[in-house]
Amino acid sequence: MSLRAMVASIRVGWYREFNWTNPLTGFSLRTVGPLASVIAASTVYYVGSTNNIPPSFDPSRLAYILIGAALYAHVAAYSWVPTLAIAEGKWTYVFPQVYISPHSSLPYLTGRTLASFVTSTLTVIVSLILSFYVLSSVFHTNIPFIVTPFSVGLLFFAMLVNIIAALGLGLLLSAYALFATKFEWALPTYVAGLLMVFSEALFPVSFLPHPVSDVANVLPFTEFMRASRQAMIYGDMPSYFSYIGLAVLGGIIVLASGLAAFRYAENRARRLGVIDKKTA
Amino acid sequence: MVYRAYGLNSFTGFAILGGVMISFWGNVLWSMASQFNWDKQVGLFEIYITSPAPISAILVGMSLGGILGTAPSAAMVALLGWVIFHPPINAVWPAVISVFALTLASLYAMGMALSSLYLAYGREADSVNEALHEPVSLISGVYFPSTGGFSPFPLAVQAGASLIPLTLGMDALRRTLFFGQGFGELYLDLELLALAVMGVVLLFASSKALKFLENKGRRTGTIAVRQR
Repeated sequence: MSLRAMVASIRVGWYREFNWTNPLTGFSLRTVGPLASVIAASTVYYVGSTNNIPPSFDPSRLAYILIGAALYAHVAAYSWVPTLAIAEGKWTYVFPQVYISPHSSLPYLTGRTLASFVTSTLTVIVSLILSFYVLSSVFHTNIPFIVTPFSVGLLFFAMLVNIIAALGLGLLLSAYALFATKFEWALPTYVAGLLMVFSEALFPVSFLPHPVSDVANVLPFTEFMRASRQAMIYGDMPSYFSYIGLAVLGGIIVLASGLAAFRYAENRARRLGVIDKKTA
Repeated sequence: MVYRAYGLNSFTGFAILGGVMISFWGNVLWSMASQFNWDKQVGLFEIYITSPAPISAILVGMSLGGILGTAPSAAMVALLGWVIFHPPINAVWPAVISVFALTLASLYAMGMALSSLYLAYGREADSVNEALHEPVSLISGVYFPSTGGFSPFPLAVQAGASLIPLTLGMDALRRTLFFGQGFGELYLDLELLALAVMGVVLLFASSKALKFLENKGRRTGTIAVRQR
């Protein structure tokens, strides 16, 4: 994979995301969604637990949900980029142009994903900070986060590690998007919904029935959530690194599956002549 | 699942109802508000303009199609939610059906009004949709009651949120579906009246705005200009 092509694709990704307006407006619009979803998830817990009989509000649970909702929004913001790059690229004739340039579809999709990763990392960090202050003051509680340079560094490292699995998932869906002409727009939304349930974003996967909980338990996205919570809430380093190890292992498996599926789909799509197929 | 996972069973019905209504809200935003803008990008809007049918009639047709198209997924959410979580229901069905119909009418009228706005603008549509979806869901009460006694929001936010048809609809649906309230309850009647007024006003506003944009577009020759 050409590094130069990938760097160029990262720039294309940023231009695509921000160049339609001034960067501040673009960044603000992209932050509003994650911020609202983090506040919504936390408020669901607050409203439910304070109106429960007897009230069962627990600040550490709120921290658990806050981290999970923010990181879920982060993953949801960038892991679908390869799929959407193909879907919108078919409409705007960008993807067929990328495709006919030799060996550039994979660097293009990877570059677009990395560009979106950087953007969503920034928006989610801003959302996390803002929601922390808003919720602390509105709910009159002390959210037990460990905020040190080391813990924040560990959180960033976990986010970096999760790129492997997210890119793999993105490529898996892209393999389908090469053939689809309508459903590829909606597919990421459905997969995002499943990911919210199965990745321990808002509640432990042990609440799910067997064998679903067993599958959810080994997903790299679940391990990523657990590692991030160890970094920011619980501070248990051996657990953090074991979750990171599992996230890397799972991520490599998902990425290998994604690459294999995309390569197979690309060859088949070329044979069938559907790379630029679209319907109005 | 969040309510259930943390032992907050009495709220699961609210969440299922929110899941049903969020399907329609997503449809209003992505398939009503921004539809003409997308149609413009792919050249379909020119066909609408040249057809003898009024644009607002096409939008009303799109609304009905959108409601029909979203109904199966919304019904699936309701059915699965009911089967899995068995939320306690104390419904007054005639009131539930009336509130549901009025809520959809005013929600889709809002979509029609937004479509003229999106037509006036352009590439912003996707980003504005992304930015609107979650905040409106947050304050309109699809996840938890955003108005009334259970609301965590200050009165000013509740008042602002009540200008969105979805907020009033959600509150009225909760009253009729879970709290056994029917016609004749003062607050519910007021919400129904407000929803009806909103529907009419938004329908009128969307019709006027579309006509204005259509005339302006014809004069300046920009009605079907695409942006890439």
